[in-house]
Amino acid sequence: MATSLPFLGYGLGLRNEYYEQILEQSPAVDWFEVISENYLVQGGKALYYLDAIAERYPLVMHGVSLSIGGPHALDFDYLKQIKQLAERIQPAWVSDHLCWSRGNAHQLHDLLPLPYTEESLYYVAGRVRQVQDVLQRPLVLENVSSYVRAKADEFCEWEFLNALAHLSGCQLLLDVNNVYVSARNHGFDPWTFICNLPPQSIRQLHLAGHRDYGDYVVDTHDHPVCDPVWALYQQTLAHIGPVSTLLERDDHFPPFQELLDELAKARQLGASALAGRALCA
Amino acid sequence: MRLTDWQLAFEAHLLNDAPALDQGFAATLRGGPSLDVDTGLAIYHNAYRARLLDVLRHDFSAVRYWLGDDEFAALAGAYVRRCPSEHYSLRWFGERFATFILEHLAQEHSAPLAELARLEWAFTLAFDAPHGEPLTLADMAELPPQAWPGLQVAWVPSVQQLGCHFNSLAIWRAAKDNGDFPGSHAVEPAQTCLVWRHEQVCRYRTLEPAEASALATMVTTGGCFAELCAQLAVTYAEGAPLQAVTWLKQWVQDGLLQHRAP
Repeated sequence: MATSLPFLGYGLGLRNEYYEQILEQSPAVDWFEVISENYLVQGGKALYYLDAIAERYPLVMHGVSLSIGGPHALDFDYLKQIKQLAERIQPAWVSDHLCWSRGNAHQLHDLLPLPYTEESLYYVAGRVRQVQDVLQRPLVLENVSSYVRAKADEFCEWEFLNALAHLSGCQLLLDVNNVYVSARNHGFDPWTFICNLPPQSIRQLHLAGHRDYGDYVVDTHDHPVCDPVWALYQQTLAHIGPVSTLLERDDHFPPFQELLDELAKARQLGASALAGRALCA
Repeated sequence: MRLTDWQLAFEAHLLNDAPALDQGFAATLRGGPSLDVDTGLAIYHNAYRARLLDVLRHDFSAVRYWLGDDEFAALAGAYVRRCPSEHYSLRWFGERFATFILEHLAQEHSAPLAELARLEWAFTLAFDAPHGEPLTLADMAELPPQAWPGLQVAWVPSVQQLGCHFNSLAIWRAAKDNGDFPGSHAVEPAQTCLVWRHEQVCRYRTLEPAEASALATMVTTGGCFAELCAQLAVTYAEGAPLQAVTWLKQWVQDGLLQHRAP
């Protein structure tokens, strides 16, 4: 079930805390993922560093504001800016989240869950197609962490993702940590989630840390990746083959070398999982 | 419940000041084995407010320095309630904060605090404004003598100009230095302060009245270099061209100016 999608290797989320070290040290990072909204500006330091880093590393664009499932009209001005940024930095792909982040009247700035119903499915699939028409490329959508579910759900999350990929042609960014967080919170088996996704649609993986409050888990991106998520990551790679892997950190930023060490761990565990897979083939 | 109605109920929960549950909405939700619906919704409610408050804390650190954490949190919380975010980027969330302070606080407190907020917002605007095409001393050196009298300039896009009626710059500086609060007082006459970005670094400085007037002539009203010299001749007589060139060199070195579009 190997995917034919391009394998970029092992990357880091580009954060301003590390701009200068990246340019000074040219670290062994295969690629960077940029938060699209941080660069939808007209000038300044962020764009300056982005252009400089784009000359040296492959980039992927990752948005947080598309609100693909929101109750509002799609923001075509926003999409136009996303497209312009893509033309500027030529990302390998453009992703956002399967969620809604804007309500009827206001921006909510969170990755809010959708009910997994037929109504949601056809609504989101139609909007994905519109977005893809504007961007002229497949949209890559990430599964989000969630803390409540709708009683109205007619599908489980992986069934919804499968159907959405089939209906819209979108591709998937599988956040392994988010699967773990939601699995803990809602009491499902994370491996059942992952092994039921269409491997040919999985374009990228995310790894991140979370906070464990015992009774529940919150996706905070402020800790190193925990052991159960590493194990799930290896199981995932062994199942679907090489997939571009991205390590995220959004708070409590450690010294850059610690992040590079954690990325080296991803690389080593990934290689080990892929080698084991080759032996079994 | 249809998708849109469910989302509107979710939005209403997030925007509600207190995390009180709409039982009708809560009844549409399920939790997990050890995560009940109330806790799940509280996670979303807290995250919404925390994210917006974080943005204000970051963008208005000098206002926070002045007020202290608790008073700032109360002010910022009121702003979150009154002015929910309208832009997809959090970068714009603080756009109305200075105006809100004027409307929200008693006048004797609001004017200096709002001015400080405007100053901080000016840095935010300068930070990611378009680069423009700043004039350099090399550009000036290449200008043929016959072009000097008609030379017209404009601000580079990042320049923000503020009239400061209070010692807002001193408070801002103290906040950046983590120094003692210098107290707030009016300054007479009001100062003109420029905030801009040069070579990716935000800069600021105040202008003496004569220099502010000269910049107003050349930049704000679009006068040419000859008009500036004529204006300065009233004060500086035959030294006017030298004064004009001295200032112009300073402005160009600071990265404040670009050619005025025809």
